[in-house]
Order: sequence, then structure tokens, then C-alpha cells
Amino acid sequence: MRVPWTWLKEYVDLDWTVEETCERLTHAGVKVENLVYEKLDLSGVVSALVEDVSTHPARPDLKVGTVNTGEGRYTVVSGAPGFEKGNLVLLAVPSSRLPGGITIETRSVAGVESQGMVVCSNEILAGEEPRPGEDIILLPPGTPLGIPAQELFTLDDWVIELDLTVNFSHCLSIMGVAIEASALSGKPLKLPEVYRNWDWAGPYGSRRPADDPDVEGEWKVELPDPDLCPRYVGKVVREVRTAYAPIEVERRLMLAGMRPISAIVDATNYVMLECGQPLHAFDADRLEGKTIWARRARQGETIETLDGEERRLEEGMLVIADARGPVAVAGVMGGSRTEVSAGTRNVLLESAFFAPIPTRQTYRKLRLRTEASARFEKTVDPTAQPVAIERAAELIAKYTGGVPERGRTDANLMEPLKRSIPFSMRVVKRTLGAPIPIEKCKEIFESLHFAVGPVKKEGDFETMDVTVPPRRVDIKEEIDLCEEVARIYGYDKFEAKPLTPAVPGGPPNKEYVWFEKMKDFLVSMGGREVVTTSLLSPDDLLAMGWDESDGRSKGVPLMDPLSSSESVLRTSLLPGLLKVVQRNQSVRMPGGFFWETGRVFFPSREELPLEAVQLGLCMYGTLRESTWVEGEAEATFFRLKGVVETLLRLMGIEASFLPGASMPMHPGISARVVAGHSTVGEVGELHPLVKKNLGLIGNCVLAWFSVEAILAMAKEKRFTPVSKFMPVERDIAVVVDASVPADSVVKVVKETARDLRSVTVFDVYDKPPVPEGKKSIALRLTYNPSDRTLTEEELSEDRERIVKALREAVGGEIRL
Amino acid sequence: MEKLGERALKEIEEATSLAALEEVRLKYLGKKGEVTGLLKTIGSLPKEERPAFGAKVNALREAIEGHLKEKTAFLERKALEERVKRETVDVTLPGNVPQVGSLHPLTKALREIVQIFYGMGFTVYESREAETDEMNFVKLNLAPGHPSRDAQETLYLTETTLLRTHTSPGQIRGMLDMKGKLPVRFIVPGRVYRRDQMDASHSPVFHQVEGLVIDRHITFEHLKGCFLEFARGFFGPETKIRLRPSYFPFTEPSAEIDVSCTICKGKGCPVCGRTGWLELSGAGMVHPNVIRNGGYDPDEVTGFAFGFGLDRAAMLKWGIDDLRVLFENDLRFLRQFEGI
Ligand SMILES: [Zn+2]
Repeated sequence: MRVPWTWLKEYVDLDWTVEETCERLTHAGVKVENLVYEKLDLSGVVSALVEDVSTHPARPDLKVGTVNTGEGRYTVVSGAPGFEKGNLVLLAVPSSRLPGGITIETRSVAGVESQGMVVCSNEILAGEEPRPGEDIILLPPGTPLGIPAQELFTLDDWVIELDLTVNFSHCLSIMGVAIEASALSGKPLKLPEVYRNWDWAGPYGSRRPADDPDVEGEWKVELPDPDLCPRYVGKVVREVRTAYAPIEVERRLMLAGMRPISAIVDATNYVMLECGQPLHAFDADRLEGKTIWARRARQGETIETLDGEERRLEEGMLVIADARGPVAVAGVMGGSRTEVSAGTRNVLLESAFFAPIPTRQTYRKLRLRTEASARFEKTVDPTAQPVAIERAAELIAKYTGGVPERGRTDANLMEPLKRSIPFSMRVVKRTLGAPIPIEKCKEIFESLHFAVGPVKKEGDFETMDVTVPPRRVDIKEEIDLCEEVARIYGYDKFEAKPLTPAVPGGPPNKEYVWFEKMKDFLVSMGGREVVTTSLLSPDDLLAMGWDESDGRSKGVPLMDPLSSSESVLRTSLLPGLLKVVQRNQSVRMPGGFFWETGRVFFPSREELPLEAVQLGLCMYGTLRESTWVEGEAEATFFRLKGVVETLLRLMGIEASFLPGASMPMHPGISARVVAGHSTVGEVGELHPLVKKNLGLIGNCVLAWFSVEAILAMAKEKRFTPVSKFMPVERDIAVVVDASVPADSVVKVVKETARDLRSVTVFDVYDKPPVPEGKKSIALRLTYNPSDRTLTEEELSEDRERIVKALREAVGGEIRL
Repeated sequence: MEKLGERALKEIEEATSLAALEEVRLKYLGKKGEVTGLLKTIGSLPKEERPAFGAKVNALREAIEGHLKEKTAFLERKALEERVKRETVDVTLPGNVPQVGSLHPLTKALREIVQIFYGMGFTVYESREAETDEMNFVKLNLAPGHPSRDAQETLYLTETTLLRTHTSPGQIRGMLDMKGKLPVRFIVPGRVYRRDQMDASHSPVFHQVEGLVIDRHITFEHLKGCFLEFARGFFGPETKIRLRPSYFPFTEPSAEIDVSCTICKGKGCPVCGRTGWLELSGAGMVHPNVIRNGGYDPDEVTGFAFGFGLDRAAMLKWGIDDLRVLFENDLRFLRQFEGI
């Protein structure tokens, strides 16, 4: 909504500056988005007297005149009917500027030098040629000479651009904003006479004045679909002539963001901007019959709208129709067949109430959002139809000399309104907290033209009935009235109070604490947290190589995605992490270690998809390039496995690694991580095929975990006393078949050895002298019982036990 | 014997290296050394002289040993000092750098936010991202056809399910989980979705933090106090807030909360559009219908709620001017958050 400052001031005599007004409005919820000064690119156009006129010697359709600006006399050629001796006109003197970058210079017109140009509105406002039937501007007698057009008319003005929330539809009109400004400033509202007579601003809405003639209009109106159109007011204006609205009216429309068209159309738009009720004008002589229907469109009906588009109407859309068919898409746009044009003699005005939701559905389907539909979709004042049509008829009569019919057609199936709401001071105390007295509330309501009933005492609180004007469709219950009090009172006047009583806050559960700890562990091991989108392309999932039976192969689809690249929900964090690798390889980052936590989604039998929280890890390339002091650190399976092992250890989770994980991992260089008898995650090298398909280069390893599973198992470690004795280390190298997992060798040692504190694999070797098909695993055993230092005898006994067990369990031979 | 003693001490005195000193030791105290030799002669002495002779030789040996020890310590210290004098490294060469990871700025920002709210008695409630139309809209006073539904361009999964457009359905789910207990004080951080194209300030996927307080005697003044404490905690103690009337169907009265510009401290700069204020949060007193939908009696309790963009909060805090960088995960960006 654009509000020209001068127009607003016409309805409320503010003594605030425009900036101050913007500030006040914003702080009352009428949000000002922008304040702009709109200046016409116009200079050198001044008032002047036509002193003398003669017919052009070569062109009998043109006249040559002497025009006096008070500072000089100019010879001017013009064909305009108003270019007559004694008329006061506007002259664009040589070198003057008109909008659109036009400069007026002396030029020869059929052999006569014309020093400048007498101008019409279209030239001043748009820098364009006169429109059909448009005459030059004639100034009232007594206008002094040599006065610039900008001083004679309000052409340059501040425009307040509002960004209104949907509940503020009552501010989709200049008068609506004026009521707000009046309430905030205490300055009285000054509305045009018609609106005052009908009590437009009042608490009960517009009401017929006592002197309104009780005469039915010429046209009949039928409302077969009152759910879509419960009220339709029509009024004929006869004997109109082609004309244009006064320049200041046209300029106001432009400042408010609309294009001036003709006096009749401009009058309807002007009234809409003024009071918020959209209107439409039909060429009455092009309507078939004398009955108007506001009805649902029938199958196969079409209409050519004013913009020249042929539109197919859907069954159920509300149309305005005459005996022949649709003449307008109700509340959206009129049709070409009955368009008001230069030859129009009689006009039928429409002022209706169209239901908000159907209007919105219609304009969305037709992709045709107009100023009218923007108002209907937010509900217009259901009482304003007659006053708006009277105002429009008055303006059309003024601009075109037309004669409005007495009375009007008012088809009204609207349910009676009940707008009285009980208001208790209890709600102020409970909700707002501030000590606002009842007198202040009353004053606020009355400033907004609400009616306030007598104050009663109910229990501990005073109450009163408040009657809200029907244009305030946003106010439905007591709490809405409470908001009115708060916003006019001023949000800045409320104190900031701390929350009482003080209660302990903190994490909701142990899982939440572990989740945050887990992130810290990952950071401490060099991992970089990333955040990727949950919306993927089906191709992203396809690229992972999951077959149909894998639940991850098909994501939950979006019904109406923005694009196919964001059309399914992720089923895994791995595609997103691999995109992070792609991104960083594309900017030549040599390597990285990324991780992410987030939700993944799977189709389910329930109404909503299944959501699970995952942890994804990914390493690629060279994590640290070699330095003068250290070798490089590469992203390898065992580096990532080490991170995973450490993470699980820090979280107190015992896990084992079983060979072979699923796609997109290399089947031979990957492992399932099993803890508490179930698979909690996987770790492995990226499958070379997937790597190739994604265009990735170099080494890349991945892992994922079910966060819910590992958080549920996470536990604080128990303290164990440290032995007072020195630990003893012994090494054993055992040769086994290459296929024997190291883990099973370690397991045998752990199960057999006594007083063992730890066993680690410190070397694996499969070259000669180790026989073909075998490998040697070197283990370091650390003994450290709490009560003694082991003797050599005990150690060798233990070694014998281990050797025997290894031979029996895994066929291991000791290598010396 | 005395001469031998003097000679030995003199030789110790003159020794200039640990090797020379060792020679001296061997010469006198070694297996074939002179003092050792003297002891061996003890057998040839008359019995009554033996003790006195033995004591003398032992005294001599002890004296030599003492001097040797002293001189050894002296020479060792000297050698060490000389070595230290010789040893030097180029300290300007880089050290062995341990690999440091980093948290994403969104996590960092959220942790700070969470800590501030813990201090005010809040806990964290986590709510699902795929929601029903009912939870995301209807229970929040956004019945079908409500004009505010258009403003929130929604990504639907089916006719009745969608990706939550705000964290506000967490208000309802959280209240229902509280089963009528008071006070209700929690924040709902999480991912939300809109049908928006990605640009510098929009993303189809972004993050919000919702807050909800329900109790007896909660007023608009508590909303102001609570948010002020948060804003000061997060943006700095000199931060100011400003509430403007606004509209959300699930709060009444509703407010837009601005914080004083973190860049110019309220003086006016391009970031704040020269107003000195930054729009941060929507808020308001919880609408009675919403309280009812959460299983509480609006005649008994009142409450306030607020919601703001986590991404925006993080961007303002660290002066990030383009939303897209948060989701690009460029290493050169991520590295900057080491240790912050
Ligand atoms: Zn600023």
C-alpha cells in the first residue's frame, strides 16, 4: 500500500512531520517499509495567458497564438480546442523538460515557429501525447502568470510505502490509515461529505442517511450464490462524456501506484484507494438485458479480460454475468466486452462484497492478482458498498458531467453483523501486565471509532461492551481488543520484567548432553562440522548404488518441489557429505575431514514419515600436507576407523567391526560397527564406482552412525584404581592365515592371558620370510596387576598358555 | 704416601676433561692403581701397624675419591654448558601442528543461545521436521484459507503432511508432552522449510529457535524482559531491544522484536538500512486457542512465545552477509570457526 502524504493529510490534519508520522505508524503496527519522495521530472512549465489567436496560415486545423507568461511573450502553435484567446493555460517554454527525458524546443510547425507548447495532463505527468479527446489544461480565472505547474498543483509528494500484515486490511485505504493516524495523534478525522453522511468510520459501519431516497435502481441483481457474493450494489450514471480526471487526481493515482486511464475508471480506483472498497464500471449499453447475475461460472465458459487475455473459467469461479454470459471475473478483473471506452455514454457501477477465500482461489488459478482482488481476499467492510458507489457516482458526475440515477440497486443477503464484544480489565491485567486504567482503554477504543458501553463491575474487574466497526474484520474476540489497547498505548511503554520464579533450566536428558559431547569429541579429533540441505534429487540417492531393497534408495518425495534437484528428503547424510567433498575439490582444497548430524527420513505406514538422527563422517584427500618436520596425513580407512574407535571409546561404548559394509562403501574395505548386538553404523572406503560417478578424485572414506543408537548406549566410564606396581610389556608375533581377522587373534589373547591390562596390534607383515598366504601379527601385551609385579615364571607360563590357545583357536604359530 | 696424595690431587686439579679424569682415577684407584697397590702391601706389615696403615690408605682413597667426584661434577656441568651454548634451532620455523576441527557457526550460535536460556530456567524441546498440516497450521490458528498461509510458502509431502514452515508446531507438541505441568519454559531449535529459491537471504532450508513460556501470571512485560536478557547475552550487554506491533495468528498481542544493530551499535549503517535496528524475532502472548490446543486452560494460565532465525542470528553475530555460505561448507569458511 502506497500512501501519498498530501492525500493522507487531507483526512487528518497532522502536525507531525512525514518522518515522525512513519515512526508513529510503524510503532502502532502499521508498518512503514519505505518513505520516498516522488518528484516529477518537470521544469519550465508555467501558467500563461493566451492573449491572441489566429488560424495557422497553412493549416486551418491549427491555431497560432501569442502566449504571455508574465516574463515574456511566446508565439505558439496548437490545435487544442481550449487554445482560445483569454484562456489561462500551462506553457512549456523553450528548453523546458517533461517526464521521460523530453525537452521542448522551438520548432517549425508547417512553416510557423512555435516557441514552446501548451500542455495537457498526459504531457505533464507522463511526457506522452494527449489521449483521445484530451484537451490542454485550463487554469481558473485569476491564476497569476509565470507560476510553475508544481506550485499550482500537488505533483511532487512524499509517499509512505506500507508493508501490512494480513490482519491490517483496514489500512488498505488512505482513510483507514487516516483513522490510525488520528487515533495516535488525537487529531480529528476529516472525511469527504458523503462518507460523513453515511457514517463510514462509525462503530456500526456505513448506514443510510435519513435523506437517502428510497428508490430502486434500474438494473436488477440476482445473487444465486450468496456464499460467494452475498451483496451486490449497482448504480447507473447516465450521459457521461469522455473525459479525464483532474491532473491532481491522476497524479494521486500514480503516486498510489495506479495508472490513470479515464475519468470513469479513475473515479472507481480513487474511491477504492480512498475507502478500500473495490468498484467496477461497465459500459451499460454493452450489457445484454437489465439483469446482473453474480453466479458460479459454468462449464466451458470463457471471458476476454481487460488485459486482452482470453481466459478459460473453471466451474465454480464466481463471475458477473449478463443475459449473454460472463462480463467480469468477480473481484479480479472486468471483461473487454463491457469495457468503458471513449464512446461510453452510460455506466453501470458495481460495488460488491466477494468472499475472500474464493476470490483468492480464483486469482491464483488465473494468475491475476489485482488491487481489487488484494482487498477482497482480505475481506472488505461488508457495509461500505453503498457509500462507495455513491462516492464514485459523485466523482464521475463531477469529472464527466454524467447524471447518476436516484437511489441504487442493493441486493443484500448478508447475515446481520454482531460486533459487540465484552471487554474485561482482567485481560489487560493478565496479558499485558502494565497498569493501564479503564479510562485509557476507553479513550483508545473511542479514538479508533469503536463504541464503548457502560462500565460494569464483574467480580474483581470492570467490564464494558465494545462495538467494533465492521471494517475491522480482524477483531473477533476480547484478546483482539486487548491488542488494540497495547498497540495504541505503545509497546515501548511496557516494562521489561524478569521471569519469576527462578527455576533451574538445563538439558532435557542425558542423550542431549552426550550429543553435544559427541560433537566436541569430533572437533577434538580434527573433524569439521558441516550443515547440508535435507532436500536432495532422486539422482543423488541413485548415485549411492543402493538397490531397490535398500530403504535408503527412495526418499520421501515432495508433492510440489521447487526443482527436481530438491524433490526428495534425504535418507542418509552421505550424499550431502560427498557433495561437500565435490565442492571443496572444485575449489582445489587438497583434503578435509567433515562430519554432520541431522535428520534423515524414511517412508512409513504412519501418516508422517519416520525421522531418525544420523551422524555422518567423511574424509578425503590429504588432511595435512607434509611439513618440514612431519609427513603428510592421508584420509585412509584406518585413519577414519581410528576416529570412530576413539569416539566410541570416549562415549563408553564397546563395539566390534565386522567385515563388509553396504553401499556406497567398498565391500572389501569397510566394516559394520556392531554394538549391543546390533549394527549401529558403518565405516569404509568410498566404492570406486560411486567415486567415479560423482567425479571425485583421490581417496575418500566414509562412516555413518545412528545417533539415537549410540546416544542410548553412551555411558560415563567408572574409575578404576591405578596399580602401584610397574607394568610389564611382552611382545608376541603370531603367524596366521591371511584370512584370519586380527580381531579374533586379539580376542584369543584377551581371553587367555591373566592379569593383562591391554593388548595392541603394533605390526602386521605378510612379506618373506612370512610364507605365502600367511601374515604375521605382532602384539604387545601389557601386564599390570594391582597387587604385584609379575615374575618371569608367571610371564612365561602365561606366554605358553597364549601360544597354545592361539594354535588351537586360530592355527597361529609363534614367530620368533 | 703423602707425596702420592699430593700428586694425585694435583693431577685431578690439572685434568681438563672427563676422559683425563678417568685416567687419573684408574691410575690411583683402579685395580692396578697406586692406592690399590698400597693396600695390597698391607699384608707385609707387622700386625700392630696394619690398622693404622689401613686407616691412612683409606683416608687417602676417600680424599682422592672426593676430589674426583667434585671435579667430575664440575667438568660435567662445564660440558653441558658448552653444549647448550652450541645448540640452537630456528624458532621461527613452524611447529608440529595438531589437527584442529571446528563446529559449524550454527551449532556455535545455538550453544550460546541454549546456555543463555538454561540460565533463565528453560530446557530444550526437540520436535519433528515432517509435520501434519494440523500441527503446523490448524492448531496454531491457521485454518485452511487463512491468508497467512500464503505468506509461508509451504513444501507439502501429501495433502495433509508437510515440512514444517516454522518451529511453532513444537509449541503444541512440547505443551502436550508437559501434560499440564507448570511452569512451561522451553526452546525448540530446529530446521524449517519454505518454498523459496536460494539467494543471499533466502533458503528452502533454514533454522529457527522457538521459545515458549506458560505459567500463571505471565504477561507481555515478561516477554520483554526475557528477550532483553537473551539479546544482551547473545549480542553483548549494551544491546537494546524494541518491540513493534505485528501479526501472527498464534499470538495476541503480537510483536516484531528488533535489536540494536550489532554492526553500528545503533548509529545507522548499511546492514541495518541506516535505522540502527535489525529485525530479529516474531513474538507475542500465546493465543488462548493455542494454549487450549496444548492442553492448558487459558483462563488459568497465560504465556508468551517467540521465534527467530538461527541463521540470521549467527550471521549478525559474525558479520556473515550471505546466507548461502552457511550451506556451502567451503573449508576456507569452516576453518575460520576453529576455536571461536
Ligand atoms: Zn547498523
